[in-house]
Amino acid sequence: MVGYWQLLPEGLVLTGALIALFGEFMPGGDRGAVRIGAALAFSAALIIALDGSSGTLFGGMLTFDGPARFIRAGVAGLTGVWLLWLSGRDIAPDEPRRRDAAALALLSAIGGMVLAASTDLITMYMALELSTMPAYVLVGYRRRDVAGLEGALKYFLLSLLTSLIMLYGLSFLYGSTGATLFADISLSGTGALGLIAALLTIVGLLAKLSAAPFHFWAPDAYAGAPASAVAFVSTVPKIAGAAAMVRLMHVMLPDEPQLQWILLLAAVVSMVLGNLSALPQSDIRRLMAYSGVAHTGYLLLALSSGTQYGYGAVLYYAVAYAVPSLAIMLVVAEEGPALADMAQLAARRPAVAWSVVVWLMSLIGIPPLAGFFGKLYLFRAPLEAASTPWPVAAVVVAVLVSVVSAGYYFRVIRQMFLADEPDSPCVVPNSVASNIAVGIAVVATIAMGIGIAPLLELVGL
Amino acid sequence: MGETVNGVAFAILAFASIGGAVGVLASRNVVHAGFWLLEAMVAVAGLYLLLSAEFLALVQLLVYAGAVSVLLLFVVMLTLRRREDAVRPLDWSLSGAVLALLFGSMIYLGIANFDIPVAEMPSTVPDIAALGEILFALDGGWVLPFEIASLVLLVALVGAVWWSKEDEK
Repeated sequence: MVGYWQLLPEGLVLTGALIALFGEFMPGGDRGAVRIGAALAFSAALIIALDGSSGTLFGGMLTFDGPARFIRAGVAGLTGVWLLWLSGRDIAPDEPRRRDAAALALLSAIGGMVLAASTDLITMYMALELSTMPAYVLVGYRRRDVAGLEGALKYFLLSLLTSLIMLYGLSFLYGSTGATLFADISLSGTGALGLIAALLTIVGLLAKLSAAPFHFWAPDAYAGAPASAVAFVSTVPKIAGAAAMVRLMHVMLPDEPQLQWILLLAAVVSMVLGNLSALPQSDIRRLMAYSGVAHTGYLLLALSSGTQYGYGAVLYYAVAYAVPSLAIMLVVAEEGPALADMAQLAARRPAVAWSVVVWLMSLIGIPPLAGFFGKLYLFRAPLEAASTPWPVAAVVVAVLVSVVSAGYYFRVIRQMFLADEPDSPCVVPNSVASNIAVGIAVVATIAMGIGIAPLLELVGL
Repeated sequence: MGETVNGVAFAILAFASIGGAVGVLASRNVVHAGFWLLEAMVAVAGLYLLLSAEFLALVQLLVYAGAVSVLLLFVVMLTLRRREDAVRPLDWSLSGAVLALLFGSMIYLGIANFDIPVAEMPSTVPDIAALGEILFALDGGWVLPFEIASLVLLVALVGAVWWSKEDEK
């Protein structure tokens, strides 16, 4: 497609959001509106995946290239999976109404899709806000639940603060270079001011990606939120955030090599802190929140290499992490948030239990799943670019804590297969739509590993 | 306007804006701090006027002096039930001082080591029609961020309605 037709997928998703807002007038009501949204999101992903055209729009504000295509398709597809699941289940046991959640998720998806293509400071900032703002509402979607609202408020205030810090950095960036288009920004010769601008900007993005030391909002916010909302909030905006980070590093790292050390430090702290804090958790939402911090650490590790190879690895792994993570939270939303709720899942619903095993294996990094290749490329990037021993040491730490992470992932597996049957096992009603969503996630996790070659070409690896 | 008149006006406005900022920090009552903020923002609008940036001055008055200050006072009014709650002790803690010092020295170093480009002031200020053209031109304009902003506002609206409306019967 050429010209402004390249925004057709965003248009489809927007249509879905508007339809969901007026869900009560749709045939099938609430559920029908969510189904339409899922169908539109899937068709948007399909259009992006099939349409290989590239180019720039709005005078260079949007750039449609391989990475943008990969991330946009990932965001739209994952939103579709989430909505498909939602059309068969309630977002929380005591909250039957879901059309608002569907509309918010679709709007967030638009933000993510635009963010993945944006190559302009102001467009990037606005798209980032659009992709995270619906997340505040989704986190506090159970509006009678005090813990959920507290989590939402914490998330909102912290996210707002870091957004403002980032905006401050962007204003310095504009002030010292006189340009908002990434193509025109060059930090060479800006001295300390350029470094300050880059630092402030990165802080905002690190917080959105829940990287240490800006991660502490995530476990609290997620533990108070419905698990189904966490499934969306902790994955889809993160993919787009990683894409924005890659685009910014393309601009900043060549002129500000000191940033490499900051990224490397944040990576090591995130990996160690995330994995060690996840070990003792008994609430799977908290466990996955800390695991998310750790995975952000892996992403930052490759990002710090500053090479094309590293950037490609980050983009690939952002999606390769998001698919299993989203799917696990969907199963948690069906079964219950506590680790004990997963007991004997293998006896009750063997297919679902084995799906969870596949996703956990991918997160640990077992071949031939997506997570294995993702981690392989992530860890190779800093090794190849290393000129000092520190990146190599960081990779050794990454491999070690990866092994530690298997400890808490295997705890979930042990619960599902070996734990005693709980006294009152919850009976989850069958739902074809959510089973299909779970099936798609399994297929995607395996297919992204086996059929990796064309994807790597797309992200420039 | 002569150079002297300009200088006097600048001195008054600069004193007013910095004095307002000091007032924000020094007042113990949150409501007083809000009014000091209003004063500082109006003074900055005056500085914009001195630079012949009428539109910017107007926006500064409307958005910052108008909307933001009123919003601030609304929040204080809605969240503080008792009059005494609005009075807070000044924070003289060491961590606050260290943070302030770090931030101040960072900004100072940044600006001191950077030769800020001296822009030539245009002889005539572009009018608001030109501004609209820049805002809505498809190529090289700002129509895309503008439209995304409208979606952000839609999200805020949906969220506010969701949290504040009554349960359906």
